[in-house]
Amino acid sequence: MKILGISAHYHDSAAALVVDGVPVGAVQEERLSRHKHDAAFPLGAIEWCLDRAGLDPADLDAVVFYERSMKKFDRILTTSLRTFPHSWRSFPNAMKSSLGEKVWVRGIISSHLGVPRSKILFTGHHHAHAAAAFFTAPTRRAAILTADGVGEWGTLTVGHGERRADGGADITLVREVRYPHSLGMLYSTFTAYLGFAVNEDEYKVMGLAAYGRPTLTDAVRKVIRRTPDGAFALDMDYFEYQTTAARSFSPRFVELFGPPRRAYEPIDLETAEGQRFADCAASVQRVLEDTLVDMTRALHHETGLPDLCLGGGVALNGVANARILAESGFERVFVPSAPGDAGCALGAALYADRIYLGNRDRDVPDHPFWGPAVDGQELARAAREDNQIVEELDDGQLIDRIADQLAAGRIIGWMDGASEFGPRALGHRSILAAPHSAEMRDRLNRDIKYREQFRPFAPVAPVETADRYFELPPGGARLARFMSGVFPVRPEWRARLAAITHVDGSARLQALEREMAPRLHALLEAYGRRSGIPVLLNTSFNVAGEPIVNRALEGYSTFRRCGIDALVAGPFMVTKRASPAEGLKERVA
Amino acid sequence: MLRPVHRWVWGDFDRRVRKLIAFAQVEGDGGRDILRAAEVTPDPLLRRLYLEHAIDELRHADLFRERGAELLQLRATRSKALFNTSPLPGGHGLDDLSIEGEPDHRLLAFLHVAEKAAAGRFAIYRDVVADDPPTRAIFEEILRDEVFHMNYTYAQLTRVLPTSYRRQVWQARASRVWKRYLRAAAAVASVIGATILTIVYFVVLWPFAWLAKRAERREGVGWAPIEREGKGSPTSQY
Repeated sequence: MKILGISAHYHDSAAALVVDGVPVGAVQEERLSRHKHDAAFPLGAIEWCLDRAGLDPADLDAVVFYERSMKKFDRILTTSLRTFPHSWRSFPNAMKSSLGEKVWVRGIISSHLGVPRSKILFTGHHHAHAAAAFFTAPTRRAAILTADGVGEWGTLTVGHGERRADGGADITLVREVRYPHSLGMLYSTFTAYLGFAVNEDEYKVMGLAAYGRPTLTDAVRKVIRRTPDGAFALDMDYFEYQTTAARSFSPRFVELFGPPRRAYEPIDLETAEGQRFADCAASVQRVLEDTLVDMTRALHHETGLPDLCLGGGVALNGVANARILAESGFERVFVPSAPGDAGCALGAALYADRIYLGNRDRDVPDHPFWGPAVDGQELARAAREDNQIVEELDDGQLIDRIADQLAAGRIIGWMDGASEFGPRALGHRSILAAPHSAEMRDRLNRDIKYREQFRPFAPVAPVETADRYFELPPGGARLARFMSGVFPVRPEWRARLAAITHVDGSARLQALEREMAPRLHALLEAYGRRSGIPVLLNTSFNVAGEPIVNRALEGYSTFRRCGIDALVAGPFMVTKRASPAEGLKERVA
Repeated sequence: MLRPVHRWVWGDFDRRVRKLIAFAQVEGDGGRDILRAAEVTPDPLLRRLYLEHAIDELRHADLFRERGAELLQLRATRSKALFNTSPLPGGHGLDDLSIEGEPDHRLLAFLHVAEKAAAGRFAIYRDVVADDPPTRAIFEEILRDEVFHMNYTYAQLTRVLPTSYRRQVWQARASRVWKRYLRAAAAVASVIGATILTIVYFVVLWPFAWLAKRAERREGVGWAPIEREGKGSPTSQY
């Protein structure tokens, strides 16, 4: 059976194609449209998925949308009514947005793809998250927790999944916390308060938290309280997101935490004001972690299962994930490479395949590389036309040359095979560098990523030796497979891993198995032979404000305008000739 | 003719900061669009020129953003809605130009016309911010780049479309006027829609609001059970 999953219209739209129970392609629209967090209907992603499998829309057995759009509209309308008359400003926009497009999903899909309306199915938003987490995880039975801003009504759900002996599979979500009470919205509110972009920059709050002390947890616990049944509730007097799209927090929130940070103002951690912001971040991070640890501990006690699957945007919080692994009682924690809304495209397709259509469960290959493949020839052609230095090398030579360059302190743009599905660069669209000095971190921030100084860089290490450099608890390597956990760097290595060691001594490690990305694994080993430490700094191949590169030409244009020293795609390595554009302006204009 | 209006706009500190931040956004979006053009064009020379152009635009975005941030630090702003987005729809990058599938000659003509218009506006802005030398210096620097952008787009247009480049420029001008009309019409429609919905909100919704609030009071907080999804109705949107 051929099933297309779609997520769209909120943020990070995506498409995924499942054929006979196994994914054949999945990609976020932003990677193709080049608009970061593109929320538009993912026509480009759908076309790519169908092309990848050589299918026409008429060949599809089902098209599955990742949420029930009318149920979501019900929540939006009901919220407007409940907050009457304070919602009068947001009501027109909410109605225009919903009635103008979002509730007509069936018609949109049908008209774009020409498939009969009877083939268009819907899953619950959190069921899609749960399916993306459970059906991609190598486990037979697992507890499931999903948490994000909001789906239809649910903001956090718990349940369990099972692969049965008869080949069937099931996911049962048993209870949920409903909007407006939301851990995701709580975190996003602090994201807005700290002057970052909501739904984009939550990870900056996590990075900033390491610089602060959780001195404001009592204040945070005033805005979120635990309920007697083990859930939580927000005190809505501190929030405004339910009444206006313009502002998440209320004047009372500002009374409690002080004036918010204005966007574009730098955070100076040497000042009391900068430290207050860091303390705010640390405090909400701590409360989020405590709440999740409590809830997962209760879920472990309730299910008695050793495995936990985490889904939803909150599962991108690697610090919380690591604490869940350490403190909840679960032996293994699985987080998919795309736990957010983009991953729901794959989750919805898998859910429809296994649950709605009752097909036999099949193991999903345990890797994140479901996107378009890179074409080395395309890179070579563009670079030669641009008068750059292009070399074609066999694998062994290439690995040795790149390892030499990394050891010499050069920065490498690395494109290999199919792109990752999800927000992390896991070795196929990465910028790689030596991880040893703080100067390298500063250089990357200054010349390539153009981002805030307080944000850390992540390391990648072979799974066989990762434990030597990082304190991985039991199950830690699994959580680090898709860079989903933050773990301490062993104290004796921190000075020699300064570029990837965060201020609190931690790092968001990717523990790489050879089978998942053999070339990168070989590069790590080759680099280890030169430096004595088989660890590299691995950051996403993009600059601030842009999606991760997809095609070779996108990698090339990024390489040309920032401080990357060499670029690799397939067997080709490109190095910069000094100022190839020198005189171009004068000659041409 | 509009110089006094521009002087009034730029004379206010809040508006000046807002303008600079908005320019940063527009230049950044435009830069990314031109970058996309560099990635999709089959013409090697144009690829290099687009890339240089995009690098310029992205640098302009940084200049505007940094100056806006500097001014913000100099003085706290009064406006709460300083960073609210424009009510006008569209406006992403190059007037919502679709880069993919556009032939180079059309893009070149569009860029030429847009750069020429921008150069004219920036020259005025440079003059009206004479009291603010750092901001004026930014406009001067950008104006120098705009001259290159105007010239290369025209030169390349004559290269790729030697017979009918003038007609293409006129078409680009007409297209800009049409897009402006569409944006203005959409903005008017949006205001009308919002007005009608606001009237509906206050006139029709209040009894339902009362019922919804009463129902909410009966709902507890904490966990709520989830209805069984599995074999239910996969085709239902509700």
